[in-house]
Amino acid sequence: MNRDALWEAQEVTKTFPGVRALDRVGLRLRPGEVHALVGENGSGKSTLAKCLSGSYRPDAGVLLHRGRPVELRDPTRARELGVSIFYQELSLVPFMSVAENVCLGGLAGRGGIVSWRQVRREASKALERLGVSIELDRPVSELSIAEQQLVEIARAISNPDVSLLILDEPTAALGPDEVVHLHRVVRRFAQHAAVLYISHRLEEVLSVGDVVTVLRDGRVIGQRPASESSISEIARMMIGAELEEYFARSEKTDGGQPLLEVRDMRTPAIPAPVSFTVERGEVLGLGGLTGSGRTAIARAICGIDPLIGGELLLEGRPLRLRSPADAIAAGIALVPEDRKADALFYNLPPLQNISIARLDRVSHGLLLDLGSEARQAREVSRTLKLAPGAERRPVAFLSGGMQQKLVLGRWLFTDATLLVLDEPTLGIDVGTKRQIYAIIDELTGRGMGIVMVSSDYPELLSISDRVAVIREGRIVHTAARGGLTQSDLIELASSAEPRGTGR
Amino acid sequence: MTAVALRARRSLGTFARSDVAGPLAILALLVLVATLTTDRFMRIQNLRNLGLEMAIVAIIAIGSTLVILTAQIDLSPGSIVALTSMTTALLVTTSHVGIVLTFILMLLLGAGAGLVNGFFCSYGRIPSFIFTLATLSIYQGLAFYENGGTPIFGLTGLSEVFYGELAGIPYPFIYVVVLYAVAWAYLRYTRGGRRIYAVGGNESAARLVGIKVNRVRMKVFVIAGTLAAFGGLLMSAQLDSGSPGYGDGVELQAIAAAVIGGASLFGGQGSVIATLIGATIITVVQNVLNLHSVGTAWQNITTGIIIAIAVGIDMWRGEVGRIALARWGRLRPGRPGQEPPAADSAAGKEDRDRARAGV
Repeated sequence: MNRDALWEAQEVTKTFPGVRALDRVGLRLRPGEVHALVGENGSGKSTLAKCLSGSYRPDAGVLLHRGRPVELRDPTRARELGVSIFYQELSLVPFMSVAENVCLGGLAGRGGIVSWRQVRREASKALERLGVSIELDRPVSELSIAEQQLVEIARAISNPDVSLLILDEPTAALGPDEVVHLHRVVRRFAQHAAVLYISHRLEEVLSVGDVVTVLRDGRVIGQRPASESSISEIARMMIGAELEEYFARSEKTDGGQPLLEVRDMRTPAIPAPVSFTVERGEVLGLGGLTGSGRTAIARAICGIDPLIGGELLLEGRPLRLRSPADAIAAGIALVPEDRKADALFYNLPPLQNISIARLDRVSHGLLLDLGSEARQAREVSRTLKLAPGAERRPVAFLSGGMQQKLVLGRWLFTDATLLVLDEPTLGIDVGTKRQIYAIIDELTGRGMGIVMVSSDYPELLSISDRVAVIREGRIVHTAARGGLTQSDLIELASSAEPRGTGR
Repeated sequence: MTAVALRARRSLGTFARSDVAGPLAILALLVLVATLTTDRFMRIQNLRNLGLEMAIVAIIAIGSTLVILTAQIDLSPGSIVALTSMTTALLVTTSHVGIVLTFILMLLLGAGAGLVNGFFCSYGRIPSFIFTLATLSIYQGLAFYENGGTPIFGLTGLSEVFYGELAGIPYPFIYVVVLYAVAWAYLRYTRGGRRIYAVGGNESAARLVGIKVNRVRMKVFVIAGTLAAFGGLLMSAQLDSGSPGYGDGVELQAIAAAVIGGASLFGGQGSVIATLIGATIITVVQNVLNLHSVGTAWQNITTGIIIAIAVGIDMWRGEVGRIALARWGRLRPGRPGQEPPAADSAAGKEDRDRARAGV
């Protein structure tokens, strides 16, 4: 049995600072088989894909190609061995044409001279196989997201010598017809090559996959033939035990007063009107898959995306938000998902990272009072239990948890009344997570309202007072804490809506 | 006694880790070499000349530093110098405008030129390198246009501005000290200064904490333009003339001063004091080479090499830091309870990739 695996991972382990992303993972990929890989966010799916495609090097364990151990030093080496990957993050060159992008990995030609005719032929063949017609000469930047995704897939399948095709969330932006086409191509590909198909959409996985492997916390939890498993069984494997005493929020004291009312809100990213209310002292959780519209809702509330319809009321007063500055002035603060890119100033010391949104609080007239700034910011850092030495270290050298505390501290320093948290504990260790929950609990105790976007389902279900499940830009379900299980949540967020893909 | 020693050691440590330590050490080394190789270097007259020589570049370098702090670049100051020197000459000679009014008009002219730069580089979303390259050409073209490309000599009544003295101290020294003191205080003690660092450090985060990024960017260009105009005035006063050729290449020297002082071209890192040291380094090098009768050719080559090294240090800073950190980490193993750094660099990037994984 071992012999007929085209590609195999044995005991593959990969550790990142503070997290073991893959823990002795074993996987056998045979030709003629679509191998589906599922798991929650952060379960290690994409890390495994990147190990197989040479982007990451495993800390331990071996990869076997046709039974022989290989070392994938870099993506080029992996490509030489016939590994072709489609990434969920698009990696197209925007100003190049469709044909060039499809053939980017290896432009056909002889002696360094590109044969454009051959390039076009190969590109059109790859697109044809996907059953799509996109003009070969159009620059990629003019295409829709779905079309771009198809070009990216076409690139992954353009090389006929592929021995392993990895598709990481290939259908996130595709419509039903395109998904059907893609699955047909994938099936055809699987006749001679191994295919690893990573997806969140369980019904899709069961329809296209032959074998399903479930990852959780970097470990292989189980493997099943697709024909013998059901969505609910896989969902159960993905989440493990239902949550018990994850974090106990304290009882809400003053309930019922609406803080933020969202009425028929529409933005370019949310075409259908969305309405909901956030009460004082309440955590409203927004659940759903990436791209479902969770973050779009958060962005609109924070004045990043403009409203094209509907209205926002804060404490009964209508809000007009033209910029994040307007939202901040109104008392709405955002803790973004990507701390490093969107929140932290690595060039400023920690305490100045806390005070930056309210410099007027530490100024006399035009001048900053550095002493008073340090004092006031230190007070905040104490309430957050920031490690004592931390305020003197460069922000870059603080742990993810400390960094997140700084960002939270920044908004405690202002008089924000509504806090929008986007993935508040992403990449944060368990101990600090609990501290952050405690901070959230304390803030709501003071009457602050919180909107929390989270892909961490146990977190979402136990921290939120109410959870709104978002799918395709709509709130499809709202439930009070305890009213939803993780399996309900996964099913509500990922499945349902007939897409015409099932068998 | 021991407490004093301890405090002295601590402040020495603070100093060694501060931004200006590196450039200052280089400057000290240069001065040492200069003093040992020629006894003409340390003469009062030479130091005085040296100071007068660097004043104009040093003043313009303040503006360059502010622009660089916001992660942009300004290539036009040299042309603004030419434009103001020509306009000054025209106003004083042919239009007989008074000195004070000329001064005010010229500073406004510089501010306007900076405003044009700033507007298009922020609200207009044109990369500053490209746009100020364009205005470098445009402003110089205007300077040529004013008198058909002919310099104007023999300005009267202006030279006092450059050659005057207060209690034996030449005016240019006073300009430099006052302007640097103001710029330093501005960056350190005002909200506007802090916002400049914030915008340069992380533009997206700056926007999300409510800073009006475009306004900050525009402001630094206006300041840079005004200071360049002041430089042009000084140039006219120094040479009693105006010429479209004045200020040629001064922007590069100003940028070099900032970079040698340790300002990062990625923005957010640097200080005006370090820039002043950088400007001094450039001038001292040129002065020493002059004293040794080294020709222009080698002077230019040497200056270029110094700039290359300084920029190299800026680019490699990350790697150097990482190596240092790795070594530091190994020397002090396993401090219990210390969380792993979410760090910078490759590890941080991978971390983020991993965090995004499976979305």
